[in-house]
Amino acid sequence: MNRAADQPEPNPLREGLSARAVPQPCSIVIFGATGDLTNRKLIPALYNLAADGDLPPAVAIVGFARREKSDEQFRAELEKATRKFSRQPVRDEMWKTFAQAISYHQSEFEDESGYKKLAKRLDRIDKEHGTRGNRLFYFAAAPDQFEPILKHLKAAGLNEACKGSWARVIVEKPFGSDLGSARELNRIVRNSFTEEQTYRIDHFLGKETAQNILVLRFANAIFAPLWNTHYVDQVQITAAETLGVETRAGFYERTGALRDMVQNHLLQLLCLVAMEPPTDLSADSIRDEKVKVVRSLRRLPRSEVAANVVRGQYTEGAIHGDPVLGYRQEQNVNPGSQTETFVALRLFIDNWRWADVPIYMRVGKRLPKSATEISIHFKKAPPVLFNKGLSDQNVLVIRIQPDEGISLRIQAKVPGTSFRIEPVKMDFHYGTSFGKASPEAYERLLLDAMSGDATLFARRDEVEEAWAFIDPIEEAWHSKKDAPGLFFYAAGSWGPEDADDLLARDGRAWRRL
Amino acid sequence: MPPITETYSLGLPVEIGEIDQELKKLWEKSEGAMTRASLVNLAVYSEELGSLEKNTQLIAKITENHACRAIVIGADCRAKENRLEAWISAHCHVSRADSKQVCSEQISFLLQGPCTTLLPSIVFSHLDSDLPFYLWWQEEFSEPMDPQLWAWVDRVIYDSRTWKDFRAQLHLVETAQQEARQRIVLCDLNWTRLDKVRFALAQFFDHPASHHHFSKIKKVRIDFASGYRSTAILFAGWLAAQLNWRADKTTAHELQFIGPADRKIDIELRERPGEPVREIALETSEMEFLVTHAECGDLLEVSRRKTGEKHVPQLMPAGKNDPVSLMSEELMRGGPHHVYLHAVNCIRDLL
Repeated sequence: MNRAADQPEPNPLREGLSARAVPQPCSIVIFGATGDLTNRKLIPALYNLAADGDLPPAVAIVGFARREKSDEQFRAELEKATRKFSRQPVRDEMWKTFAQAISYHQSEFEDESGYKKLAKRLDRIDKEHGTRGNRLFYFAAAPDQFEPILKHLKAAGLNEACKGSWARVIVEKPFGSDLGSARELNRIVRNSFTEEQTYRIDHFLGKETAQNILVLRFANAIFAPLWNTHYVDQVQITAAETLGVETRAGFYERTGALRDMVQNHLLQLLCLVAMEPPTDLSADSIRDEKVKVVRSLRRLPRSEVAANVVRGQYTEGAIHGDPVLGYRQEQNVNPGSQTETFVALRLFIDNWRWADVPIYMRVGKRLPKSATEISIHFKKAPPVLFNKGLSDQNVLVIRIQPDEGISLRIQAKVPGTSFRIEPVKMDFHYGTSFGKASPEAYERLLLDAMSGDATLFARRDEVEEAWAFIDPIEEAWHSKKDAPGLFFYAAGSWGPEDADDLLARDGRAWRRL
Repeated sequence: MPPITETYSLGLPVEIGEIDQELKKLWEKSEGAMTRASLVNLAVYSEELGSLEKNTQLIAKITENHACRAIVIGADCRAKENRLEAWISAHCHVSRADSKQVCSEQISFLLQGPCTTLLPSIVFSHLDSDLPFYLWWQEEFSEPMDPQLWAWVDRVIYDSRTWKDFRAQLHLVETAQQEARQRIVLCDLNWTRLDKVRFALAQFFDHPASHHHFSKIKKVRIDFASGYRSTAILFAGWLAAQLNWRADKTTAHELQFIGPADRKIDIELRERPGEPVREIALETSEMEFLVTHAECGDLLEVSRRKTGEKHVPQLMPAGKNDPVSLMSEELMRGGPHHVYLHAVNCIRDLL
């Protein structure tokens, strides 16, 4: 959102043309260039940026992977993928120019000579394309490859840039699988790149509505006085998807919903909802406030996990009327798997603003609909006048996906001679009000990394604090004695009944989505 | 009620005093199948014959991306007899989010004769409350500028390309702006027309290492199409304002500016068929920066040439010169146009 400290002198010709930090010419090296992420997300995102004129013309893309492949083969594969996954149709002439800047670098991740050749290649690209010695390394490879890649990048001197240039690294999640491994990963990264050079990507933060949370809160005076324990009764965050594990069974079996979604995406959303106003819009000011939220999360001792966290796993059922398999019947899943595909949590932020406000989170696969939403439930009006016997609350809903928008539920009088009161919804839909399609999250985040704006990327301490909160839950689940149970739910339902009980015990219920 | 689908007809004729009730009926008849959306009041004023129909077509396209309440006014101030007629209609489009019909309202007015002085009261009584008011003025400005109307305008949109006397017109707009009780943002579609070309040229200098070229610029060539000389001069004004040049001499085909350290910069203006601003070439002592329209028309090819460096042209969106594209571009922007005003100040005596 703001220019980073290392952002260069402004270009006078840019004044008034762009309200964002300007991306710099650079070479983008993608490790794991033949993988799904590159094909589905990264290259289509870069193409869309180029087609919209947002990519600096001097950008070169180098795919780094093991398989033997020529530049032409690589470009042809990427073209095919981009035509399939791009947000906007691919234009031949635009692709042709865009593709000129793409090349393929074949090397094993462990082969030191491959990185030395890469360094030479990047020097050559700087001369030919005017990429000015700026390098962005994108780790789209498996996490167990990070260490050799980082080690060899350093050995080849690619972790450092010449004066006036920069070298940055984008790391894809998972950022470890627990606090220990996250610290280890951070240590490995830090051995080669400083924290300022490191961009940990969480694509949820690149979504338009996630960014709009800050605007909603800090550009609208109406909400500021209400955004605290005095007026908020509870907060709910739901990330539901109809999909099962699909092709990710191998990964999911080791990970589960808590690590896959809660540790990163959901806690990041919670931070945006619960943080204090930052002193300015610089990356570190915002991240300073976010990390305070995670630090203030009440830790759950092993003995309290069962009372505050429910884990579930889907069994066979139906989604949109189509029968689907249970998790344990999915391909590559252990038939006796204890991996959770659903988690519901009740948590508290022990700080001045949020004391005693329960935060309920749920995330799950094979739920009846796909939706990610945050709802702020305000306290009830005093039970006098119109409110005698009225149980409804004002609810502010922030829809992250799909149908991004915001709605507010208020009470209104039903027309007629009697005083009947019903809840009505005031609704704002991005798609209705703004005809222009939002860019994909990866487009925004790639551009931010090229601009040196780390606001929407997770910082080391945020990641580690999040794991410090998650770890006791995982430990309780995997303890040999008195481990909380795994509850089952039919695919197409809203999770196990125990998740409903979690709120019912507090006299509350999940919001109907 | 006319069909609530995309239509270029003026819609249902209504009594002036019945507009609100008729609009209400329009939405009642849709029975919730359509969503009314509005982010801005957009009033369009024209005195051209047949402008109501023409502007209705434009509004139909503009509302695809910019939901608004459109107030389209066709005026004939020279008519002797008073005539005042109104129509209401809706422009509906399928939303990209959820396939809902999203609709913008249009109220059209035909004003003839002395009743054209009623313009402010007609506009004010039909604004969607709490939304900004943009006035797209398709005529030359003339005195007296109605202070009542200008006091309400948030942004005034015009196209200076068609102005016969740039200085006089700008003086009128600036005076109205100063006298208005609130800040009016001046939005010149002739400036919007330059957005993509300015963007394309600017990106060459994003890296600080390229800033040294600014002090080495010797010559700029601007190729423009017939009728777009003012656009080309506005572009020159932008360069001058941003790079601290001041105007020195002017001929029909050349402008001369003086840069810092009394350095002379020649700007050659060449009329060539094609796009409004077809090509920009900026020459320094060691490099040429070129922005030119690609063969396909709607893309710009940007390249820089230097001995020993590989020539790698890139393509960027060129933008379009039709009123719908220019207005859509303009409606996407926010905030004041300081850079425009600086550019205008550099060249107001040259136009």
